Amino acid sequence: MKNKKPKIGVFKYSCCAGCEFQLIYFQKYIMEVFEAAEITFCKMLQSGGSENGPFDVALIEGAITEQWQVEQLKKVRSVSKYLISIGSCAVCGGVPAIKNTVEEYEVQKRVYSDTSVIHSVKAHPIDQYVKVDGYIKGCPMGVRDLTEMVISLLLGKKPDFMEYCVCVECKLKGNICVLAAYGEPCMGPVTNAGCGALCPSHNRGCYGCWGPMKDANTKALADQFEHMGLSKEDIFRKFTEFGQPAKEWKAGQVEA
Amino acid sequence: MIVKKNIEVDYLARVEGETSIVVQLDHAPAIELKIFEPPRFFEGFLVGRKYDEVGDIVSRICGICPVSHMTTAIQAIENAMGIEVSPQTKVLRNIMCLSQIVASHLIHLYMLAMPDYYGSPGIVDMRDSFNKQIENLMRMKEVMNELTGLIGGRALHPVTHLPGGFTAIPSNEAFNSILGRLKKIRPLAERTVKDVSQFDIPDFHSVSEYVALGNDGEYAINEGRIISTKGLDIAAEDYYQAFVESEVGYAFAKKTIINKRSSFMVGALARLNNKYNKLQGRTKSLANQVGLKIPSDNPFHNNIAQSLEIVDGIERCIQLIESNKFEDEDFHIRAQPGEGGFVTEAPRGLLFHQYKINREGVVEKANIVTPTSHNFQNIEKDLKKLVEENKDEEPEKIKLLCEKLVRAYDPCFSCSVH
Repeated sequence: MKNKKPKIGVFKYSCCAGCEFQLIYFQKYIMEVFEAAEITFCKMLQSGGSENGPFDVALIEGAITEQWQVEQLKKVRSVSKYLISIGSCAVCGGVPAIKNTVEEYEVQKRVYSDTSVIHSVKAHPIDQYVKVDGYIKGCPMGVRDLTEMVISLLLGKKPDFMEYCVCVECKLKGNICVLAAYGEPCMGPVTNAGCGALCPSHNRGCYGCWGPMKDANTKALADQFEHMGLSKEDIFRKFTEFGQPAKEWKAGQVEA
Repeated sequence: MIVKKNIEVDYLARVEGETSIVVQLDHAPAIELKIFEPPRFFEGFLVGRKYDEVGDIVSRICGICPVSHMTTAIQAIENAMGIEVSPQTKVLRNIMCLSQIVASHLIHLYMLAMPDYYGSPGIVDMRDSFNKQIENLMRMKEVMNELTGLIGGRALHPVTHLPGGFTAIPSNEAFNSILGRLKKIRPLAERTVKDVSQFDIPDFHSVSEYVALGNDGEYAINEGRIISTKGLDIAAEDYYQAFVESEVGYAFAKKTIINKRSSFMVGALARLNNKYNKLQGRTKSLANQVGLKIPSDNPFHNNIAQSLEIVDGIERCIQLIESNKFEDEDFHIRAQPGEGGFVTEAPRGLLFHQYKINREGVVEKANIVTPTSHNFQNIEKDLKKLVEENKDEEPEKIKLLCEKLVRAYDPCFSCSVH
C-alpha cells in the first residue's frame, strides 16, 4: 500500500446524488484528494472504469430499494477492503424510506398506473445487506467526517467519526435552546451532530436530517413532544422523515 | 449490404442519475432512452406529510437543484393556501435560485460536458492541461455556493426556507462581503463563455418548440407565464391545459408533451430562444462575440446558452444585492386548505409542482413534473435525427455523438424519476 495511491470506488443507489456532489463541494481539497487517491469508478465523474474493483474504499450513497442493487452491493463488498456508507439514505434510509410508512403497493399505485414494471422493495440502509466499516452521516454527508475518512485512509488509521447529538453543537455555539426556550419541537437531542446545529442556529428546530445518534433517548423526546401538544401524527412524522428503518427512533414511530 | 450492429450505451456516465441509450440501426432507426434510475415515489409518500415538511423533503429529489424543488414546492403550497409573501422573500428566492443555476451550469459545463469535447473520460484526467479552467471553476463555484448557503444556511439542501418566508435573514454586512467576491468572479465567468465557445460543437439542427417562463419585467426565473416559440402563452395555474404526462414501458421517468402537439425543449437554450432580449447588455455582446445566433435550433448550443446564463446570473445577483436592504421579518403562517401549483425555471428548465392540502395542513395529493421529463421525448427526437444524419459513420462515432447530445441537454435522471 505504501507509495501506491489508494483506489476509491463511488456507487449510487436510490437517492438524490447529493453526496457525490458533496464530494465535488469538497472543492478546496478535491484536487489534493485526486493527487493522493485515485477514484477508479464514479459514473458521475468519469466514463469508463470498472465496478469490479478492487477498491481500497468503496463509498456507497443511497438507500437500497431494488434487487439488482443488493446483488451489485454484495459484489462491491467482496472486492473492497473498506466499505463506507455516505449520507443519510445509505446510513439510515433517509428520505427514500418515508415510503416504508405506507403499504408498498399503495405508494406505487399513487405514482404509476402500470405497476407491473416496478420492482421496488421497502427502502433499507446499506448495512441491512452487507457489513459496513464506517458511516459518514449527514444529508448531504458532512465534510468534517469525509475529511477524516480521507486522512485516515492515507495515514492507515481508524477514522474517528462524530458520535454525539446536535445539542452538543448548540452548546458549543452558545445557542439558546429552541426546544426549552421557544417550545420549537427540535430533533436535536436524538440526532447525530455534524451540521453545526444548522437549524437551531437559524431559528428553527432540527428536523433530524443527519439521522439518529446512537443510544438516543427517543422515548423521552417523543413524550416531551406530546407534552408540548404535538399530535400523535405529528410525532410519527418527525421520527420517520429521515430514519424510518432506524431502531434508535422506533420509540417515536407510534402510529396513531 | 453493410450489416450494422445496434448500439447500446449501457450506462451514460457524467450525467446526474442513471440511464442507458439504445440505438437500433439495422431496421428503421429506433431510439430509446432507458432511464433506469430507481423510482423513489415522492408523489406517493408526500401524501400524509405536513405542508411545512414538503420543502425539506422535495429538496432531496435532486442533489444539484435542491433549491429549485424546494422553492417551487413552497410557492405551490403558498398558492394552495392563498398566502402572499413579502417582496423581500421574493428577492431572496430569486438570488438563491440564480446562485444555484450558476453553480449547476458550472458543474455541467466543466465536469460533465467539457471532457466530451477533448476526448477525455473525465475532468480528473484533464487537470494538467486544463489547470486554469479547473481553478476558475472551483473559484466561481465556491462563491456561488457561499451565496446560496448565506441565504439558505447551506448550499445543498438549504434549511431556512419555509412556506411564508425565511427563518433567518443574513445581515447586510454579510451580503456586502459576498458582493465583493461576486464582482471578482465576473471576469472568470466571461472566460467560461470563451472556454465553452472553444468546444467543437457539431453543426446539427433539429427544429423544436422551445418552452420557458416569461414575464414583462425581467429574465423570468421564479414568476411568470408559460410561453413558447410556437405561441403558447398560459398562466402557470393552467399547466394541465397545455401539458400531458404519460408513462412509458421502458423507463421509470414519465414523458410530457404539449397537448395535441408534440415534444418540446426546456432549459437554457429554450430560455434564450424565448427571452434573449431580457438578458443584460454585456451578456448579449458576449453572445455576439462568440457568434451565437438566437434563435438557434442546435441543441448542442444549450452549452453556450448555459455559459451566457452564468455571466447573466452573477450580474443579476450583484444587482439584486446592491438594490436591496435586508431586515428580519416574521415568516409564520397559518395552514389553510386548498389546491395549487407553481412553475419555476430550474437550471435544466421548467419545473412544476402541485399540491392539495387539507384542513390539518396535510398533503392529500402531490404531482411533480421535472425539466428532464419535459425534455425526454425531445431528446429522443433529436437522437433519432442525429443517428439518421450520421448512419454511415462508425458505430463508435455514432455512440459518442449520441452521448454528447444527451449530455448537452444537461439531463437529470434522478429528478426525472423522483
